[in-house]
Amino acid sequence: MAPGPVTVGVIANPASGRDIRRLVSGASVFDNAEKGSMIYRFVAGLRAAGVERALIMPAFSGVYESLERNLRSHRAIKESPALPHLEYLDMHVQHDAHDTIEAVNLMLEQRVGAIGVLGGDGTNRIVARHCDDVPLCALSTGTNNAFPEMREATVAGLATGLVATGRVGEQAVRQEKILRVGLDGDPRHDCALVDVAVSSERFVGSRALWKVGTISEIFVTFASPESLGLSSVAGLLEPISRQAPYGLHVRLAAPTVAESVLRVPFAPGLVIPVGVGEAERLEPGKAVRLETAAGSLALDGERELEVGPANEVEVRLDLKGPLTIDVGAAMREASFRGLLNGRAD
Amino acid sequence: MTEVASPQELSKEDLLDAYRTMRTIREFEERLHTEFATGEIPGFVHLYAGEEAIATGVISHLGADDYVASTHRGHGHAIAKGCDVKGMMKEIYGKAEGLCHGKGGSMHIADLDKGMLGANGIVGGGPPLVCGAGLSAKVRGTNQVAVSFTGDGGSNQGTTLESMNLASVWNLPVVFVIENNGYAEATSTNFSVKGIDIAKRADGFGIPGVTVDGHDFFAVHEAAGEAIRRAREGGGPSLIECKVNRYFGHFEGDAQTYRAENEVENLRCEKDCLDNFRRRVASAGLIDEGELDRIDEEVKQLINEAVEEAKAAPDPKADDLLTDVYVSY
Repeated sequence: MAPGPVTVGVIANPASGRDIRRLVSGASVFDNAEKGSMIYRFVAGLRAAGVERALIMPAFSGVYESLERNLRSHRAIKESPALPHLEYLDMHVQHDAHDTIEAVNLMLEQRVGAIGVLGGDGTNRIVARHCDDVPLCALSTGTNNAFPEMREATVAGLATGLVATGRVGEQAVRQEKILRVGLDGDPRHDCALVDVAVSSERFVGSRALWKVGTISEIFVTFASPESLGLSSVAGLLEPISRQAPYGLHVRLAAPTVAESVLRVPFAPGLVIPVGVGEAERLEPGKAVRLETAAGSLALDGERELEVGPANEVEVRLDLKGPLTIDVGAAMREASFRGLLNGRAD
Repeated sequence: MTEVASPQELSKEDLLDAYRTMRTIREFEERLHTEFATGEIPGFVHLYAGEEAIATGVISHLGADDYVASTHRGHGHAIAKGCDVKGMMKEIYGKAEGLCHGKGGSMHIADLDKGMLGANGIVGGGPPLVCGAGLSAKVRGTNQVAVSFTGDGGSNQGTTLESMNLASVWNLPVVFVIENNGYAEATSTNFSVKGIDIAKRADGFGIPGVTVDGHDFFAVHEAAGEAIRRAREGGGPSLIECKVNRYFGHFEGDAQTYRAENEVENLRCEKDCLDNFRRRVASAGLIDEGELDRIDEEVKQLINEAVEEAKAAPDPKADDLLTDVYVSY
């Protein structure tokens, strides 16, 4: 069978970047019109790297309209960049996380070479659960964003295109770690790319986890002291790279009784004292059973599961998480090998 | 001064109260849907069924002297603010014993003693009112908060945008709640809210804006608690966009040809705020479902009585035609 056109999927979450942290911290809303413009810039980068076709998840709330406006306004300009053939996925939009899941499944059926994800940690978590070994280019449009990077979409599109067309090698793709969350005998009930937190908050509520006093323990795959949110607690204790073959498990304590207290950048505009109890490295494959009183589990900063004492919950580090595109590495290789030299098409 | 509980602490009594309020709104609206078809109710009614978690989640943070300005779809806000259900039903039937002596009807139910500034037939009419109420509270030095409810259609009105600007300029203790139920009358938000999210509009006026699932009492309650706390403590206005769906038409009699086949049936199965609430408080072991069933029965009885009493209540007399209509200064 002849190979089809080189195809890349694009998913933009219209709901990312507008949770309760706007009220309790200095976070601002991430504009959906900007997400539409980012898709335009991303696909322009894809085409410049040789991608022939892009499959786009339909998304309302201003994302789609912004993209269309960009396409119309640039079509008449001679100097406008060439674009890949753009197709919206034919799917019933439900305006929730099911849209992302269905879009990923349709993209896998169409054998995409990579998927660009515009969202926060939560969006990437959902894509990662379903994308098999298709590499992701994670672009930040969420709030805390430890997993996706703040990147100019044009450059991210170029790097993604270079990977999808096979013009750069394995060094441009990272194998990420992932935390598998088991529930009541199902070892892969859910997952997290950056962190899992155990909270005494009974209900998922407005999802975002922003009250540290409710958190008893956290698990992280990687941790940087430069990041924002839960993982920065671990980052200030023991920085752990994305490549390190272990994670960290930290038990928290009230700052008034804890031996060690850290001042943690927990959300935009919110630096708060966090008391630390014990911390130990999380070895891959080892399941850590949680003693769950009534409360909730937050995955990548968002409360997702309401659990009670009757539930059996465990967390396990898996080194074989999703593949992601290292934009910097891809572009360095492109520079070294002259992959972007020469006149435009 | 208004005394309210900490935003996030929900006792068993709080949960039972919230369920009773949501169930009362639902039963009130479902019954009106049936009764309106008999032709006995004058004027228009716009039903709130499906959106109960919003009114309940927001207004449960308000005290008796806080203010609410509502919409044409205002029964839920009035019930949550503590208006007498039987008086409301009589008002909708146009009876002399109604909350507004039968002169307001569904779209103008008001009870100033309860801080209910009124349902409002003017789309986008609530936000300017809460600016006034908020300014009054600020000038008098009280810690009262004023909350307006507006639909997605109303969010496009100049009155709403001007009010957000004014509230920001004067740093008023005001919360703008946008109930985005997907349709401005018969027009989908996909065609009427262009380019920028409703929550994002808050950024343009320098105030925080958030989006929450309006089907989820706990999500609304948490966000509203923070917004109202912020307003009460001098942090100024904010905007909460609640994504939600309504179960009935824009008005009773609306053929709803603009909705997809089985759209409402699917919503009732998958997103119902009462089902969602019951399941979660029961699985958390906080409330026995039998207690919720008893509330259902009590509410059903209350609404039966409200309808029977409203039908039997006297009509206004001709002599009352001009009373309560004009204000003498």
